[in-house]
Amino acid sequence: MKVHYYPGCTLKDKTKALDLSTREAMALLGIELVEPEGWTCCGAEYPLTEEKIGTLAAPIRVLRQVRDEGGDVVVTTCSFCYAVLKRANGAVRNDPLKRKRFNAYLRDDIKIDRWTKAKTTGFDEYKGEVEVLHLLEFLRDRVGFPVLKSKLGRDLSGLAVAPYYGCRLLRPKEELAMDEPDNPKIFEDFLTAIGCQAVDYPFKQECCGSYLSVSLPDAATEASYRVLRSAKMAGAAAVAVTCPLCFYNMDKRQDKIKEAYLDFPGIPVVFFTQVMAWALGVDKALLGLGEHAVPAEAVFQDIPAAEVRP
Amino acid sequence: MRVKLKSGQAAKKFIERVEELSGENVYACYQCGRCSAGCPVASEMDLLPNQIIRLVQLGLQDEVVGSKTLFLCASCFTCQSRCPKGIDMARVMEAVRHLLDPKGKDAFGPAEVSPELAQELPQQVLVSIFRKFAK
Repeated sequence: MKVHYYPGCTLKDKTKALDLSTREAMALLGIELVEPEGWTCCGAEYPLTEEKIGTLAAPIRVLRQVRDEGGDVVVTTCSFCYAVLKRANGAVRNDPLKRKRFNAYLRDDIKIDRWTKAKTTGFDEYKGEVEVLHLLEFLRDRVGFPVLKSKLGRDLSGLAVAPYYGCRLLRPKEELAMDEPDNPKIFEDFLTAIGCQAVDYPFKQECCGSYLSVSLPDAATEASYRVLRSAKMAGAAAVAVTCPLCFYNMDKRQDKIKEAYLDFPGIPVVFFTQVMAWALGVDKALLGLGEHAVPAEAVFQDIPAAEVRP
Repeated sequence: MRVKLKSGQAAKKFIERVEELSGENVYACYQCGRCSAGCPVASEMDLLPNQIIRLVQLGLQDEVVGSKTLFLCASCFTCQSRCPKGIDMARVMEAVRHLLDPKGKDAFGPAEVSPELAQELPQQVLVSIFRKFAK
């Protein structure tokens, strides 16, 4: 199976581990990932007012490129990219005025041929033909969790992982429609499918503080602490995240959390794709564990597989 | 909290602009307070989300735009998902931020990130915080 994959800016630099483990895992599932040519930043934030909507041009361009390459689905792993691309796509689909405005604006983009460098212009109207899916959604709806389960190469039944949704995967429900915002289960189902124990805890869909870690570090420290402590108290050996910013707030800044809250013992934070790649049988050296500030080696302990993949 | 009500065109205009920008009906709010109850950064705020929307209903622009709450909202949409009246509070916050003086100082601009910090931050956080808090 071939599918378009939008990595986003952070996965190419600060959190290569998320990108690498996604690629390794998908290769073992027999899924070829294709990056849309010339993709740009998605804009990170979906504009929330009816004016100043110019930042939607970037995600719509990416989606149009996917369509022009013949793709009908684009998969992302970063929660921010997912929310922006999916909401931008929804705006083009459901709001005729926005569709008209953006197509009028983007029609005169210049196409540069990759080989001949010849410049042409004129794009077909983008009507929201592409489907934006998060990797979790893609695995649930297009691959199927039972199929994923049948391809496992390692037994992780002793590993208790706390799924952390964060803010951008679930809300607003009307536009993202991935799962119930206050009682989600897609991440738990995913962890169960790859053979882990999914830990249930009350803070799984609370915010980690998001970008406030830059402007008001103490607020983000407190918000992340609440999530991590809750996961730890529920018996998790690690917290699995989907978002590079959650990873920064909860892993890279975990020393700050420990300084502020002396009762906090610390807990490794991993990407969901790292756990998936490990369960499928990917070598430990390919998981990008060097990027973690909190050592996560202990999470990936090689227990001989009950049945080894042929 | 005690506020002094004002009447007149300015207050009316402010309410209309917030509704126009956000696309939300601020008068739908009946002050149940679920937005504030679920807000992860409520402890840091001078005005809680439900107080912000009440002040918008009353047209008290100065009180609203002077609040530091506007720059504490992380747009996590917890309030949006819990509002029984379907108001997206994050949109109301963003609408008020857009009504700030366009020539004024950035609440949080590039100058406030040191080169060392910028080196370690993931790119997405820089893009999103400047999109939210800088003009």
